[in-house]
Amino acid sequence: MTQMDGKPTIDAKWLLARAQAKVNRRRLLQGAAGAATLPLAGRIAPARAMPQHTLSNPAAVAAAQKVLQETGDSAEAAVAAAQQYSGITLNYLSEAGLMAEGPKVFSGPRWQELTGITVNVVDRPFPELFPTMVQEHIGGTGGLDVVDVVPAWMADMVTQGIIEPLDPYIEQFMNPADLEDFHPVYRELMNYGGNIYGLFDDGDTFLLYYRRDLFDDPEAQAEFKELHGRELAPPATWDEYDQVQAFFTEKGNGEYWGGASQRAPLQVYHWWMVEFRTRGGEFFNPETMDATLDSPAGIDTLNRMLSSNKTMPPGVEEWDFTRVFEAWMDGRLAMVGGTWPPFGRFSERYGADTVQMEWLPPSQVADNVGYAELPGGYSSLASGFMLSVMTSSRNKDAAYLFAQWMNSPTISLERVMLPYTLRDPFRLSHYNSEAYRSLWSNAGEYLDMLQEQTDTALLDIIMPGSQEYHTAIEQMWGAVQGGTPPEQAAADANAAFNAITDRIGRDAQREAYQAYLALGNVYPNQE
Amino acid sequence: MATTTPVESSTMPRAGGGSFAARRRRTGWFMAAPTIVAILVLGIFPLLYSLALSFQRRDLQHPNEDQFLGLGNYATALADARFWDSMFNTVLLVVGGVTLQFILGLGLALVVVDELRGKRFIIPLLMLPVMMVPVVVALGWRLLWDSQFGAINHILSFILRRDIDITWLTNKWTALFAILVTDVWQWTPFMFLILLAGLSSLNPELYEAAALDGAGWWQELREITLPGLAPVIAVAIIFRALDAFKVFDQIFMLTQGQPGTSTETISWYIYQVGYKFFSMGYAAAISYLLVIFLTVAAMIYAALFLREERS
Repeated sequence: MTQMDGKPTIDAKWLLARAQAKVNRRRLLQGAAGAATLPLAGRIAPARAMPQHTLSNPAAVAAAQKVLQETGDSAEAAVAAAQQYSGITLNYLSEAGLMAEGPKVFSGPRWQELTGITVNVVDRPFPELFPTMVQEHIGGTGGLDVVDVVPAWMADMVTQGIIEPLDPYIEQFMNPADLEDFHPVYRELMNYGGNIYGLFDDGDTFLLYYRRDLFDDPEAQAEFKELHGRELAPPATWDEYDQVQAFFTEKGNGEYWGGASQRAPLQVYHWWMVEFRTRGGEFFNPETMDATLDSPAGIDTLNRMLSSNKTMPPGVEEWDFTRVFEAWMDGRLAMVGGTWPPFGRFSERYGADTVQMEWLPPSQVADNVGYAELPGGYSSLASGFMLSVMTSSRNKDAAYLFAQWMNSPTISLERVMLPYTLRDPFRLSHYNSEAYRSLWSNAGEYLDMLQEQTDTALLDIIMPGSQEYHTAIEQMWGAVQGGTPPEQAAADANAAFNAITDRIGRDAQREAYQAYLALGNVYPNQE
Repeated sequence: MATTTPVESSTMPRAGGGSFAARRRRTGWFMAAPTIVAILVLGIFPLLYSLALSFQRRDLQHPNEDQFLGLGNYATALADARFWDSMFNTVLLVVGGVTLQFILGLGLALVVVDELRGKRFIIPLLMLPVMMVPVVVALGWRLLWDSQFGAINHILSFILRRDIDITWLTNKWTALFAILVTDVWQWTPFMFLILLAGLSSLNPELYEAAALDGAGWWQELREITLPGLAPVIAVAIIFRALDAFKVFDQIFMLTQGQPGTSTETISWYIYQVGYKFFSMGYAAAISYLLVIFLTVAAMIYAALFLREERS
């Protein structure tokens, strides 16, 4: 076992063996042939040999080194090196929608202007990102160069050899001091098996958002104290959350509600996982690798979430991010029980004058938004993105350089301040940026809370099969909301977890689980 | 010395090319070759290969762990509750959907087949849903089924004179109902068109004779229309049923198989297993079970229909 920042990491030999697993021509044809007869149309391209890492262009390295010695600026170094590749086109896989607007409108055109390299943004809905990368890897067409990878997918991506280890590139092209600028939790996530496979690029830490005007109302404070015998304040536990929510829902009398969270099945697993763990739940028995989702913590979490729906707006079972956001902006919610960071700047209508943000509704909550930790005291690192380079890329150097440039302290600060992308602060310099802190009246409080919550944010499952594990949790929640008793749904989810674990292999998963635990921030108060 | 002139015959060999028939055969094979190759490469080979695949563990996410399982994937599928649940949902949607489409399609066809003012405009209008992309139809209906902004709850609230806020897509049975209605809306016109064509081809003299004999509308329907339409009905139902078995778009847009996995259909399940989690061997096995099921069902249907025809 190796040591990274004092924490043990996964056995490097085991990982190396798995990372070297390559899909040969025969098995690809087999996969493609099988796929062709499935009843649904799909495409698995003909096999190609997986490209190997090649040494970087010496001229590019020299150009970067010269700039680094002169200025120490990784962005400028990336530009100087990338000019050697002028004329090529890079394909960048990004989440469709606002997320893709960053490279389409800002990074791509600017990179082209600086280097002569064109950036073609391939945008896909979030659920399609992972399959798209796997399919491209199988096809090996070189159709993707830079990709947005969710840290939870890292184990699958590395063991399948889909993404490139970036250490050789970092060594040649980056100012190593820039690595120290990542928030430590995010920096840890970039490593797998002792190598860096991605540059962390999107700090998706959940915060609780609440209406200060409602919470500060003396009449409401008095009523609440009389009712519950304590001060009206952002809730410290999920049970307190329900009390506060019910209080405001009753007070709102149909005009507004105490709170809402996403309940439409898609990414609700983040909410369940964070509460489950703050209640003491663990995903697996580390010895047997049997799933333990049906523990009292799991059942209690399902029951609490279900009962919480009752004091949320009617029809909340169908509410996704947009629906919660719309109600929040309209002043119809006193709290949002945890959500992604863009809520902070959207609430203030920051950037509403840009073409991309014309859709932003009027805000009834601007200047009145308070930020708090999630009930239970631990936030969730809900997805997030890293920039990675596909092993099948024909332009790995240029792809890496584009990623380094976008991710550099200077350019990334501009990017997280773009109103129309969903990229959120992830570098220490972002949290401390005076420019960001002056974007709206209490932006500083927002950034401080984000940084503080990231310190203890609990991670998604980062193991082979993470997509499937998360889907099983999502289905558990959907089933409960659809009327299945929580005990039954949790037992079904357990069975689904065990089936996934058995298919991948208990021994391999036991080792992967240990590696996941070694990342820290998996469970509260983790040693 | 007498000499004989050889008579040219199509069966006689010719220098450099054989007989005319042989050349014709060769030309035929040459012309058909691209099609044959295409069928072999794109149809038969993948079919056989996927059959072989169905006997193996072939997980594209774990490429070095291939394994021959024999009938293991099939046994797993037959013991897999999700497989049976998704089959049940599929059969439910097919039987329910095709039955309703048939009844509604026949009703519409009976109305339109007679002289009807505006018929020229009504028929194209009725055909619009079937011409739409299924994903778009499902997207449109998703808005209609929305509990807060959807027209369906609003209409029900208006009719029942109280607030209706049914979350149609978050409960198994209401979600399946929503999928069924969406499917019926889109595909009833298909049934209508085929049955209308069948009705138009029935001999009007039979109806005139029946009218002279004093037969009523119901008797005409039972004794003339349905027997006359039987072959058309048989074809229409088998076409629709086979197509309905592939229901995917509505699931993708309306429920994604949720709540839980309770509205998964077999196509959706195969998509999940094969294209989301890349267990190709298992997905191939489920696909073959589906093929076997459909083949048996089609054969039973055909046998029943033929027996009916003979009797």
